Amino acid sequence: MNILKIGLDFQGAIDEGLTIAIVGYVTVFLALVILYFVFTYIAKIYKLQIRQKLLKEGVKVDECCKEIDIPGDVVAAISTALYMTLMLHDEESKVLTIKKVSRTYSPWNSKIYSMRNLKKW
Amino acid sequence: MAMKKALTVIVIIGILAIMNAIVVQGDAAQAYETVQTEESIAKVSGDQEASNNSDGPRSYSAMEGIKKFISFTGFANATPGHLIMLLVGLFFIFLAIRYDYEPLLLIPIGTGIIIGNIPFFQAPGVNLQLGIYQEGSVLNYLYYGVTKGIYPPLIFLGIGAMTDFSSLISSPRLVILGAAAQVGIFMTLLGALVLGFNLPEAASIGIIGGADGPTAIFLSSKLANGSIVNGVQTQNLIGPIAIAAYSYMALVPVIQPPIMRLLTSKRERVMRMKPPRSVSKLEKITFPIVGLILTTFISPGALPLLGMLFFGNILKESGVTRRLADTAKASMIDIVTILLGLTVGASTQADVFITPQSILIFVLGAVSFMVATAGGILFAKVMNLFLSKENKINPLIGASGVSAVPDSARVVQNEGLKADPSNHLLMHAMAPNVSGVIGSAVAAGILLSFML
Repeated sequence: MNILKIGLDFQGAIDEGLTIAIVGYVTVFLALVILYFVFTYIAKIYKLQIRQKLLKEGVKVDECCKEIDIPGDVVAAISTALYMTLMLHDEESKVLTIKKVSRTYSPWNSKIYSMRNLKKW
Repeated sequence: MAMKKALTVIVIIGILAIMNAIVVQGDAAQAYETVQTEESIAKVSGDQEASNNSDGPRSYSAMEGIKKFISFTGFANATPGHLIMLLVGLFFIFLAIRYDYEPLLLIPIGTGIIIGNIPFFQAPGVNLQLGIYQEGSVLNYLYYGVTKGIYPPLIFLGIGAMTDFSSLISSPRLVILGAAAQVGIFMTLLGALVLGFNLPEAASIGIIGGADGPTAIFLSSKLANGSIVNGVQTQNLIGPIAIAAYSYMALVPVIQPPIMRLLTSKRERVMRMKPPRSVSKLEKITFPIVGLILTTFISPGALPLLGMLFFGNILKESGVTRRLADTAKASMIDIVTILLGLTVGASTQADVFITPQSILIFVLGAVSFMVATAGGILFAKVMNLFLSKENKINPLIGASGVSAVPDSARVVQNEGLKADPSNHLLMHAMAPNVSGVIGSAVAAGILLSFML
């Protein structure tokens, strides 16, 4: 009798678990499928807005459509180029000139050092 | 020299064995220990009455003092369980350092396991305020963050602040793969029920299949915390569930590849996908706001997790709260990870952790990871049946539907590169990966609403 009761309890728990599993899984799917639809349409709405804005500015729709979706690899290439330009190089003045030193005298250009200084008696 | 060292070690072990024999095994010592235990109970619990009844301060002989000291050391209180757990802790640290398996998690957890399994004197009614389960101890206070479910939402805040959802926004259809991989959660729930766990416990074990440590801790702290949940007495399974979840997350590079190779052909693995489009700033800002409202309306139980996840992402994407986003994704998440890892590790105290249930949880956890991986891959293959040739998806990315971010995406990238060294799948895999985080949190919320 006890075994039967335990068996029935177990069967009840499994049934309840099965219900939770099915409803739960379907709900998770539902939540993410709604998210999928929302973001598919949000992207389209934004694209439409940009298209209208460009139309107002006088840009042809066909041309603008090509420009709206920049492929990821193009973005990656631009980002890498910018990174390499801005981050990997030292900032230099780009002025290639020899500055004039205000102190004109230097041992390098002084004749006195290149001549023998003989003692004058 | 080596001989000398060996001799020293043998002598020390010999001394310890003799001490142990004197204190623990000898009959007289046993009787003495019983008396000492009672005295300790009276002393430690601050039983003033017991002290007043004694005839003045008691004097101890030197031998009694030494015996008392030894009875309080770890050597006298060590059990095989403690030693096993110490080895487990050392193994975790070894894995982290030698193989670089999730060192940020395994080092705190491994050290926590060692801290939690240093044996000390324990007796009914005695509270030395040392162990993690002893009320008033420092570790116990830190453990509140786990038992009350405080740390997981804070971790989610950090994850939100560091996650870029653009891959998901650019290919919304990949979101569904994140849902498909959650099959592991619900199959494990059924498996746990079959193995004799009650419903709240089974739900907590099932969430391991979500491959999300904070979510697993959050749900088990609510449903398997040793209290009565919905009229059902539950066991405290937070420790085993958290350890199983984090261990398998660290072992994603070991568990997933064989399943990926088993379920896909070479032709499928080399499949190239359309590059994702660029995403505007407006879309990036819209995503967390819409996502937050939508998902929490469907699953309010996941509010603490999803609320913090999307809040973190708003901080990042708004562009005007850079300081807050930086703190959330760096200092704050680091602090919480340290506390979470350490306390979860310490919660594996041998007497609580080494049970047949823990072994079952580990087995179920491994199975749930495998089922989740397989679920994602198979669903990707099903999706391919309905997609046009240029929109087909590489089934490998289905494996990243489990929410171990970014580990499973990284595994997908590596497997893709093995099949074709010029085929980079990382960006594509990140979409189901972050969607898996949302999916597992939604699943946790649903389970919570069913059980409470």
